[in-house]
Amino acid sequence: MTPASSPRSAGYWRLRRWIDNLAFAAVLVVLLAPVLFVFFWVVSLSLKFDIDNTAYPPIFVPPTPTLDNFRRLFADTPFALYFWNSLLVSGGATLAALLLGVPAGYGIAKSKAHGLAVLMLISRMTPGLSYLIPLFTLFQILGLLGTLWPIAITHLVITLPIVVYVMIGYFETLPPELEEAARIDGCSVWQAFRYVALPLARPGIVVGAILSFIYSWNNFVFGAVFAGRTTRTMPVAVYNMLTFEQFAWGPLAAAAIVVMLPVLFLTVLIQREIVGGLTAGGVKGA
Amino acid sequence: MATLELSSVRKSFGATNVIHGIDLAIAHGEFCVFVGPSGCGKSTLLRMIAGLESVSGGEVRIDGKRVNELGASERGLAMVFQSYALYPHMSVRKNLSFGLENVRMPQAEIDRRVAEAARMLRLEPYLERRPGALSGGQRQRVAIGRAVVREPKIFLFDEPLSNLDAELRVRMRAELGALHERIGNTMIYVTHDQVEAMTLADRIAVLRDGRCEQFAAPLELYNAPANEFVAGFIGSPRMNFLKGTLAAAGAGDASVALAVGGEVHATGLTAAGAKRPTAGEPVTLGVRPEHLQLVAPGAGQADMKVDLTEQLGGESYIYGSLAEGATLVVRLAGQTRIERGQSVGVDFAGSSSLHLFDGEGKALARRTA
Ligand SMILES: Nc1ncnc2c1ncn2[C@@H]1O[C@H](COP(=O)(O)OP(=O)(O)OP(=O)(O)O)[C@@H](O)[C@H]1O
Ligand SMILES: [Mg+2]
Repeated sequence: MTPASSPRSAGYWRLRRWIDNLAFAAVLVVLLAPVLFVFFWVVSLSLKFDIDNTAYPPIFVPPTPTLDNFRRLFADTPFALYFWNSLLVSGGATLAALLLGVPAGYGIAKSKAHGLAVLMLISRMTPGLSYLIPLFTLFQILGLLGTLWPIAITHLVITLPIVVYVMIGYFETLPPELEEAARIDGCSVWQAFRYVALPLARPGIVVGAILSFIYSWNNFVFGAVFAGRTTRTMPVAVYNMLTFEQFAWGPLAAAAIVVMLPVLFLTVLIQREIVGGLTAGGVKGA
Repeated sequence: MATLELSSVRKSFGATNVIHGIDLAIAHGEFCVFVGPSGCGKSTLLRMIAGLESVSGGEVRIDGKRVNELGASERGLAMVFQSYALYPHMSVRKNLSFGLENVRMPQAEIDRRVAEAARMLRLEPYLERRPGALSGGQRQRVAIGRAVVREPKIFLFDEPLSNLDAELRVRMRAELGALHERIGNTMIYVTHDQVEAMTLADRIAVLRDGRCEQFAAPLELYNAPANEFVAGFIGSPRMNFLKGTLAAAGAGDASVALAVGGEVHATGLTAAGAKRPTAGEPVTLGVRPEHLQLVAPGAGQADMKVDLTEQLGGESYIYGSLAEGATLVVRLAGQTRIERGQSVGVDFAGSSSLHLFDGEGKALARRTA
């Protein structure tokens, strides 16, 4: 037996795997460093006193962490109201998108009407600003300005295409035999949708809902145009803090954290749901 | 009572015609099998009967009533899919009861039927499981059970056993036969497995390219195929075909000059179609492997060189080649000493069963054992 073909020891393979993992982690860190650093810096800012925030050389880890910025944020500004506004707008727009978008996605997937889906995408890609002025006039005539309605309704432009697209993808992967079996079992088209397709598409619904909520939550432009003083959504509120309280880095960072937290939480949640393979076992080989 | 009639049923997907006018009348309680090569339209025809595919032309009648316009949910049929199509998010019990709940059947009756089907198909231990936690054979039984509980007018099966391993397939085949015996409903069964077709069917419809080539009882298909296609499709290994010309034709006998040389004089023939054989026309001689005899070289009508012998213990198959690329398969009972490379004579004239087909493949005359 030549040395080249001799089996390597178990220790060699353990070391080898360890090195591989280390290299992989290093690459990840390099790729994610810009994002991670910004995130870290915001967290750091939010936990420091103002004096430390503008210190030079910069202080990365606060010597005495404080929640004072968060306290000031909620005490001095109506940030709780803005949070509630955002929740209503994004929650409402997502709910409405689910009610309309899930059946729409089903219809498009089953009738293979991909033209409709593309049409929807075009409306999504059109710059929001191009139709904001006519919409502004429209809402003015309807007397809805100053309420949350215009923001929630315009957010459908964001949430509906997301839900429809995600649902098309899910419904297309459902084996058609399942609904055919339901039809033969005496279901109407609606019953087949309600009792077979819908429960099986639950992971898709969750994913679509979370994605559309996140995008709606982060949206700035619709809120910026339609929001009055009491109907600001969070991104708009953060922006306003930036302009009027230029040097209050601490509360600003705290606000940014509050905006980010739900998104962070939902992102973690969505990862679990995407993995779920609910259709396993229904059709042979699936 | 449930009868099914198809009259000149046609189907086209856009510009492509898939079913070209099929007429069938299936009696109550009959077990009817559709066979045919892949892509011939078996599934499409079955789905049209089920109401899952629209009918492009002709009429589908159940119990004499036109159902072309009725949706799948209103036809009162049950179907077992090749892929089973069990509802993965429902327990086995719920899978069985789902169709009954849809028609608002009283709960007591639902429970009774589910229990009975579960007992019959030995599904009782699995009733609370999801389909994902069942083996292939168990899923298959759930799919059949889902059809059974509905007590449908007609059962439709689309290759229900093709996903099972050989042993399980044989067992489920027997169970399906027994099920039909017991409940006696009309059943329509699609398969491309001839053994399934021959063993289960009361009558078999042989389909090719969207046309029905012959609709008859299994042994009738075997003994009196209407044309060369049916003759070749039914029976395994397939019937041997040899080209030739009709040298002479009498009332009950004919002489065929084989293209590979040699002449076969066959007596005791009966006419198979309306057409009378005429001397000089090109014909095809068909003999099944089990009806050929091997004799000493030169003693038969042709000699062949043995290419391969398959010994199965109880029977043997001899594959040989004649002149001009023609090949023959001969089945011998028991075991054989014949070896590859050997030369043997083949006797056609003495065969207990012979078929003559005309130039278009239509049966002309035959002698059956
Ligand atoms: N939706 C469709 N659009 C166009 N052509 C189709 C469609 N469905 C089936 N076909 C065609 O119709 C023909 C018959 O198909 P079908 O599925 O009935 O065959 P089959 O006899 O069941 O074959 P197999 O034994 O492989 O299941 C095929 O040539 C197929 O390509
Ligand atoms: Mg098929």
